[in-house]
Amino acid sequence: MRGDIACPGCDLLLNIGTLQHGESASCPRCGNFLTKHREDAYDRVLAFASAALVFLIVANSYSFLSFSASGMENTMTLKQTPVALWSHGLPTVAVLVAAFIIVIPSIILVLMLALCIPLRQGRYQPWLVPVAKIAFLAQNWAMVEVFIIGVIVSLVKIAAMATVEIGESFWAYVAFTICFTAAVASLDCYQCWERIEALRGSKK
Amino acid sequence: MTTAASKGLSTCHFCFKLAPADVHRCPRCHAVMHLRKNDSMQRTLALLITAALLYIPANLYPIMYTDQLGTTEASTIVGGVILLINLGSAPVALVIFVFSVMVPSGKLLALFYLVWTVERHSTLNPRQRSVMYRMTEFIGKWSMVDVFVVSILVALIHLTGILVIRPGIAAICFAGVVIITMIAAESFDSRLIWDNMDDEMNHESEELESDAG
Repeated sequence: MRGDIACPGCDLLLNIGTLQHGESASCPRCGNFLTKHREDAYDRVLAFASAALVFLIVANSYSFLSFSASGMENTMTLKQTPVALWSHGLPTVAVLVAAFIIVIPSIILVLMLALCIPLRQGRYQPWLVPVAKIAFLAQNWAMVEVFIIGVIVSLVKIAAMATVEIGESFWAYVAFTICFTAAVASLDCYQCWERIEALRGSKK
Repeated sequence: MTTAASKGLSTCHFCFKLAPADVHRCPRCHAVMHLRKNDSMQRTLALLITAALLYIPANLYPIMYTDQLGTTEASTIVGGVILLINLGSAPVALVIFVFSVMVPSGKLLALFYLVWTVERHSTLNPRQRSVMYRMTEFIGKWSMVDVFVVSILVALIHLTGILVIRPGIAAICFAGVVIITMIAAESFDSRLIWDNMDDEMNHESEELESDAG
């Protein structure tokens, strides 16, 4: 029946019916958040995700932080964060850091665009199912906001040793983090899958 | 309280679709369906033990080295926190302490506790345990802060001969702890917490029926 859902946290069988714009549902037994319905979800994702991609390109193009001590100066870009680890003999950590702060977030953004453009147009595409699976699965492994906290902590640590200057890329990455988080928060898993199924049904 | 399992329905892990438990593939997204996550307890426990073992070298070995004018100083995770307090930045020391010491160890303990209570069919405070599980799931990635700090410092501070920061072996151990506990949290099935309650309730109602009979 339409609206039937089992809470993924405790398996309680519920019927949430058809949610209106802005309504959300949580499990009454274990308190697990289930879904929030937004009519404008796809517009929001398209806006935030494309803005985030632009900011990510900017964040990769200029200097991220620069640091000077004893008359010498050193500038780093975003890409150098993993590259430096690689050259210091920790390739595994380098790959992980690159994946968590650049690669996985950008894959998620591209997949969300590939998902939301057809969903918004109301056209079924055969790639919707695999794209939605990967996009939602990967979300837990994007750590852009954690990285921002890492940068702030680093700034405090270095401030004791030398002068640090914040580059353009840092602010671009902050803007990227805000847009990325907003894009991910706008796309509801349950709503998205219901829409895919409805589109597939109407196509047949 | 009706559960999907008692109606013979299972939920797709990817898309939340409900389908009869004997259906092998999700009718909506074609993922393999399970009534509960596969071997949830064994997988979670195995990953937890791995993470707990990795947590030892992560704390004993240096996470980074500071080469300053010919002298090398190694610092561990806890050493970094103490250094920050000495530098007078207590708020940042607190951030690092919370994310690098309290969160990973708290997460390990919480997941061990959850596995233990499920294994002994506890019916104690299931809602609290559900909240505890969701917290471990949510907070998992935040422990990566320290690894990111090291990678930023290594990339930024590189003045050969004057001041160089190099990563230590604990960085990879610690990254391993964070990632493995994240996978452990993902493989834990919180519905098992409630299955014990439901079994208990069914059992009680059966007893009542047999008493009446």
